[in-house]
Amino acid sequence: MSLRGVCLAAGARILLSDVDLSVRAGEFVAVVGPNGVGKSTLLRSIAGFARPLAGTIEIDGSDSGALSAHERAQRISLLGSDGEVPAGLSLREVAVTGRFARRPWWDWTRSDEDLRIAGAALERVDLGTAGERDFASLSSGERQRAWIALALAQEASTLLLDEPTSHLDARYALDILGLLRSLARGSTSVVAVLHDLNEAAAFADRVALLGEGRVLAYERPERALDPELLGRAYGVTFVRVAIEGEPRVFARAINPPRRQEGTLSDWQRARHDR
Amino acid sequence: MALAALAALLVGVFVGGSPLGPKSVAWSLTHPHAGGDAGTIVWLLRVPRVAIAAVVGGALATAGFLLQGMLRNPLVDPFLTGVSAGAAAAIAIGVALGLGAAFLPAVGFVAGLGTALLVALLARRGSGIDAERLILAGVSLSALFSAFVALALTRLSHNGSDEILAWLAGSLAGRGWSELLATLPYVAAGLVAALLAVPSLNALRLGPSVARAVGVELARTQWQLLAAATFLTAAAVALSGIVGFVGLIVPHLARRIVGSDARYALPASVLLGVTFVALADAASRALIPPQEIPLGVLLAFVGVPSFLYLYLRPSGAARLWGT
Repeated sequence: MSLRGVCLAAGARILLSDVDLSVRAGEFVAVVGPNGVGKSTLLRSIAGFARPLAGTIEIDGSDSGALSAHERAQRISLLGSDGEVPAGLSLREVAVTGRFARRPWWDWTRSDEDLRIAGAALERVDLGTAGERDFASLSSGERQRAWIALALAQEASTLLLDEPTSHLDARYALDILGLLRSLARGSTSVVAVLHDLNEAAAFADRVALLGEGRVLAYERPERALDPELLGRAYGVTFVRVAIEGEPRVFARAINPPRRQEGTLSDWQRARHDR
Repeated sequence: MALAALAALLVGVFVGGSPLGPKSVAWSLTHPHAGGDAGTIVWLLRVPRVAIAAVVGGALATAGFLLQGMLRNPLVDPFLTGVSAGAAAAIAIGVALGLGAAFLPAVGFVAGLGTALLVALLARRGSGIDAERLILAGVSLSALFSAFVALALTRLSHNGSDEILAWLAGSLAGRGWSELLATLPYVAAGLVAALLAVPSLNALRLGPSVARAVGVELARTQWQLLAAATFLTAAAVALSGIVGFVGLIVPHLARRIVGSDARYALPASVLLGVTFVALADAASRALIPPQEIPLGVLLAFVGVPSFLYLYLRPSGAARLWGT
C-alpha cells in the first residue's frame, strides 16, 4: 500500500498535505496525532471512501478510489469509529456480515465456511460463546470487539482500524493489540489509529505521527515518538522515560490546577443551609 | 404463512356480494371452462379481484419493507416518497379535466412515479440518497399535492368529487383482469429488484457506513431499493387507490415473527401482505352486502389499533424495530 503526495480535506478545510506513506506487507503501522488532525480521514481515504484532493493511493498496485465497493471490501477491511448500534441482531449475524463481499451482491446463500470464519473471528476477540446474544445487549467494550470480529471475518489483506482499543479495558486492549500484531505478517498489513502513544510504542513496527497539517514523522516508534516532535504535534510538553529498557512517553501537565481545599465541604454546607 | 395466504385467497373467492353457495364456487373453480352464471362470477369477478387484492397487499408490504430497511426507520410507509399524493393529485386534476375513468389508473401510476423521482432527486446527496432529505422532501411534496386534491374536492361537482373520494378511500370495486395484467410487469420488476437486494438489506441493518465497508455499493443499492419500492407502490395505487397501513404494519409483523434477517422477513412480508389485504377485501364485501366498505377505510379500522397495540404495549416500542 502506498500514498504519494496525498492531500486531504474536510469540507473546505485542508487537513493534511504532501502525505507520503508506504506500508509493507506484514507491517503494523500506528497512526497517532492530535484530535482533528485527519487520522480518521486518512484511513477513510485509504479505504476509498473519501477522495483525496490530490495525490494517489494505491492498494496492491491499483488505485483505491477506482475500485468498486465490492472489490475494495475483498482487499481492505475498515473498522470505522462511527459504528451504530443495530437492534435485534445476534453477534453471529454481525460477524457474518463481514462475508458480504465474498459472493455476488445478489446471492442469498451463506456457506458453512462463512459461518465458520465468522465464528472463528468471534472466538479471536473472546466472544466465541456469545454468538447468539443480541448485539444491543452488549457492553460498549463487547460491541467494539464484535466490530473487530466483523473486520476480521472480511479476511482482507489490509486492515484499517480507527481506534480499535476504544472502550476496551486494559486486558482487552492488550489482547486486541497483540492480535493485530500477530495478524500483521505474511501478506497482511495493519494500519491502526491509536490514541495511546505507548500502545503504539509497544506494538507498532512504525509510527506515523501527524501534526501541523502533515506527516511529522514516519519511523520506528523510538524515533517517531520523540518528545520534541510530539510537543510540536500536540502543543504540550512530553517527557520520555525508559521502562524496563523500553521507551515510553507521557504528556506532562505544567502548573496543573491544584484541587482547592474545602471546596467540597463549602458546597455541602451551602446545600445543608438551604 | 404460505398456507395462511392461500387460505385468505380462498376465503376471498368464496365470499362476495352475490349469493353463491360454496359448492357452486368450488365447482366453478375446478371447472374453469364450464361457463354459466357461477363460472362468470367466479372467474370474471371474484378471482381477478382476489388476485388484485393479493398483488396490492404483497406489493405494499414489500415496498414498506424495502423503504424501512433502506432508511432504517420503522415509521416509514411506502407512501412516504409521495407516490400516493402525486397519484391522487393527478387523478383529481384528471377528473376535473373530464378524463375518462379508464385512463385514471394509468395517470395515477405515471404521476406517482414522477413524484417519487422528483422526491428522490431532491434528496440526492453525492451519488446516493440522504435518508433525512428523502423524508423531508416526501412529506413536503405530499402536503403540496394533498392541497391540490383538497382544492379539486371543493371545486368539483358531486360526481367528480365522489370519483376522487373513492380513490382516496382505497377500493378494489370494479377492477378486473385488464387492470391486473397492465400493472403486473411493474410489480414483477419491483419484486425481482427487491429479491436481488436482500443481502444488501441485511448488511444495511448495521448502518450505511458499515454496509459500505463490507462491500455494499451504497448509492446503487439506494436507487435500486427506491426504484423497486416506487414501482410496487405506484402499481398498487393504480390498482386500489390509497390503501394505507399495510406497508407500515405488515413488515413489522413479519420481522416480529421471523426476525430481521431479510432472507426470511421479506418473503414473510409478502405473504402477510397478501393475507392481510385478501382478508380485508373479503370483509369489505361481506360485512354489509350489497354495499362495500372502502378497503382503505376497513384496513385503517383494523390496522391502526393493531399498530398501536404493537407500539404502545409495555416493551412494545423497544422491540418494534428489532425482532
